[in-house]
Amino acid sequence: MIWKIAKKEFLLNLMTFRFAVGTMLCMVLMAVFVPILAKAYQERLKTYNQNVSYNEAELHKVTVYQNITPTIYRQPSLLAVFSEGLEKQLGNSATIQYNEVPEINAAAANHYLSIFSIFDASLIFKIVISVLALLVAYDAISGEREQGTLRLVLSNAAARYQVLLGKLLAGLMVLLVPVTMAFILGLVILLCFPMVDLAGSDWIRIGFMSLASLVFIATMYNLGLLFSCLARRSAISLVLGLFLWIIFAVVIPNGSVYLATQILPVQSEDKLNQQMASLQRGIQREFTAELKRSGRSFQGGGSRNDRPGLGGFGRGYVRSCDKVFMENGLIRYSIGVPIEIRYADKRSEAQYGHLRSLFEQTRLADNLSRVSPIFLYENVMSALAGTDMASFRHFIDAVKTHRKDIIEYMRSRTNNFSSSSFFTPCTKEETELPPIDNDAPPLDLRDLPRFSYRADMVESLRRVTPDLALLVFANVLFFAIAFAAFVRYDVR
Amino acid sequence: MIRQIIHKEILENLYSFRFILSLVLIIVLFAVSGFVFVGKYRQQSGDYWEKTNENLTGLKEQSRQLYRLAFYKQGVWRKPKALALCAEGFEKSLPNHFVFDVFSSNLPEIKGESNFTLSHFSSIDWVFIISMILSFLALVFTYDSVSGEKEDGTLRQVLANTIPRYKLLLGKYFGVLLTIGIPLFIGLLVNLIIVVASNVAVISGLDWLKILTIVILSLLYLSIFILLGMFVSSRTAHPANSMAILLLIWVVSVILIPSFGRIISEVSGKTPNPAELERKLGEISAEMWGNADKFGERAGYMSGDVNDPGNNPPARGRLRTAETNAMNQAREDYHNKMLAPASVGRNLTCISPTVIYQRISESVAGTGINRCVNLCQQVKEYQASLKEYIRGKDAEDPQSLHLIFPEQSCAQAWQTISRKPVDFGTVPKFQERDLAMGQSLKRAVWDIGLLALFNLVFFVASWVSFMRYDVR
Repeated sequence: MIWKIAKKEFLLNLMTFRFAVGTMLCMVLMAVFVPILAKAYQERLKTYNQNVSYNEAELHKVTVYQNITPTIYRQPSLLAVFSEGLEKQLGNSATIQYNEVPEINAAAANHYLSIFSIFDASLIFKIVISVLALLVAYDAISGEREQGTLRLVLSNAAARYQVLLGKLLAGLMVLLVPVTMAFILGLVILLCFPMVDLAGSDWIRIGFMSLASLVFIATMYNLGLLFSCLARRSAISLVLGLFLWIIFAVVIPNGSVYLATQILPVQSEDKLNQQMASLQRGIQREFTAELKRSGRSFQGGGSRNDRPGLGGFGRGYVRSCDKVFMENGLIRYSIGVPIEIRYADKRSEAQYGHLRSLFEQTRLADNLSRVSPIFLYENVMSALAGTDMASFRHFIDAVKTHRKDIIEYMRSRTNNFSSSSFFTPCTKEETELPPIDNDAPPLDLRDLPRFSYRADMVESLRRVTPDLALLVFANVLFFAIAFAAFVRYDVR
Repeated sequence: MIRQIIHKEILENLYSFRFILSLVLIIVLFAVSGFVFVGKYRQQSGDYWEKTNENLTGLKEQSRQLYRLAFYKQGVWRKPKALALCAEGFEKSLPNHFVFDVFSSNLPEIKGESNFTLSHFSSIDWVFIISMILSFLALVFTYDSVSGEKEDGTLRQVLANTIPRYKLLLGKYFGVLLTIGIPLFIGLLVNLIIVVASNVAVISGLDWLKILTIVILSLLYLSIFILLGMFVSSRTAHPANSMAILLLIWVVSVILIPSFGRIISEVSGKTPNPAELERKLGEISAEMWGNADKFGERAGYMSGDVNDPGNNPPARGRLRTAETNAMNQAREDYHNKMLAPASVGRNLTCISPTVIYQRISESVAGTGINRCVNLCQQVKEYQASLKEYIRGKDAEDPQSLHLIFPEQSCAQAWQTISRKPVDFGTVPKFQERDLAMGQSLKRAVWDIGLLALFNLVFFVASWVSFMRYDVR
């Protein structure tokens, strides 16, 4: 019986005008947006490749160990086409330095473009198809009552739960059509671009994305169905549904962010700056103390010959120098660098304290927004696309580990920073000679640790689970209420 | 006759469920917007004055020696504006801090208690409520204005009387406009009462005029959606169909198209790359210093000893000035490259009335991107005037070399700029000026024209459709 009702409803809905218009619009939007989004991805990939090759080229120019300061770039995410998340909001690069620990930072990108809101393919699902779901659902019950057909159906042997389940099934089948079509169309267009190379894990992610989209659309359908069972007139159920939709889509995401900034204000930057300054003074203090303990001291004078900007990564180096300068340099770096490395960790801790207050605020805002299924869906999509906060943190953590490797490498190559090769290619013998003016040969860095990063798919799936479960719960909840309302529905 | 129809329409709407729902929603939103604004403005102006005074104290300290005035890095903040109440213009994600000395300025940046990990959100100002929520309500009120009456059969009855169709159409139009106007005006009133009563912001006479302009523009904007609703309603036979079409049009024009601006600029491939700017600045510096002798003998040499014959101050000055100018140019090019896509994006998305409405209210309120650009310009003018001041004061000192160029150590060691104290009262100070009303209106003229055009097109369209509407 359920199946019969579902089939009839399905066919009826497929023929409706609103379904045709909505599906057409989806297809057109996908066909227009995806190529543009893919093109934008191509541009980002180009910039990324440029940056990486510049970085590689500079690495071959490095003449002193001090100048090993490669920048690690985060590869732009292809799946950002589906869900942009924080992709353009957070910085996508981190520079490795012995005296600075990289942290998540804001993108140095174009501030002026933030007058435009985020734009990605999931916008089509979360806005257009969700409206379509409401439009399909709003008159499922109240509309039939108005036409008088509900009475006829229920005068037969069909139980109410069968009617409602049939409607649910039909709605899901109907909405499956635009969702699948949109996904397939988007993927086909995407695969037409030469630079698009989807790995196995990407396919799994896309699979989960389409699943999440279906669950989300089902939630919106159930919401529509609920209002249809609550109201006696279809116009009212539509108005109610749309009001709630606009609250979910517009009011809650904006309002919760605002509320979060009010409830949990972030730690002031001044405090952080003070901490940083006091740590900076600490370096000086410790250096002086250490110098005294070592019994060495700086000598006056010293001359050198600089090569500005030619030592790799736009940094200069001391090409040749006299004995005094060499001695002073050895003292400065062998004592100073270990201290600076230690203080970099301390500074990073202070900075992390500040970042944590930001994260907490963001988490609060997210939790407040979880009332809205549209936000839940957005969250799931960005986690699957690898463009959410956690993915960025995962990346930065990998960079931090890499930094440790590089420092270890520098330490082993320069005898714990006490070799002159840390700051100059000039040797002890050469200090006796007149200044040299040609460039020094670059260092042999073939065994420098290489950065490799892979986004952890299992981890992102784990992150997605609670939100997805909430969406499923919302489905069940809406349907249960709808069912309760429909059982008492006056069909006259 | 028209008056009777309007009267009936309004009464009918007033008793409807949708009206009560929208009245509550709109008033709540406006009230929240008022409270949010008051809190934000209070905090912002506190911060602003604190930081501005900090900057002035710093500047005052420098006035003990003239040359230090030239090298002092001033930090100027964007002043909070009362009219951000109406149109905030995305200012919280636009640069608000400008750091500069007399010779060069950094790229404008975003500073302060902002959380970059939060997703961008629109602040709830008038423009947000009107462009998103009220435009939607306009459609909710009009989707069945013709097709609904047809279904009920009342349209036949009305037209069986001696009423010409155009009168009925006009009556319906004004009826809905007035109905929408009720929550709008009550909301605005509540909002303004909250703001005025809290006494945080001073709203001047000119500001009231601007507010009035924005209200009129809002009605013009909402009228587009009312006409659109009536047009679609008189093209379809069933209100359900007209609602479906209207909703999809609304989604596309209010939500999708305005966010389209960003991607357009990214596709163009001219996105400025910050790493590239850094490289470029490094290249400029390397090139200038590599060819230092071009600027005079021993320009690259500098010794702290004034009497060292190796020093060549004029050549050094030329070198440093040329380097700084080239770097300034590079930074400015970069800045322009960042600005260009924003305005191109906005121009291209002008097919949506929402974008036009946002832009026009920003220019009337004097907020948004244009204000940032204007502020950069003002900073530049101020730099020039301060430099002129230093030059004038410097000329009075016979001991100075009168070489004003961007190298502090030279100024210190060789006294290229006077070290005499100056009277702080005479030092020019930075003060942000508002864009003149005439200027902002000139910018807005095009947009007003576009809004009027939209109105006209939809009016004619709905008129023609209604004239041929089959009322059976």
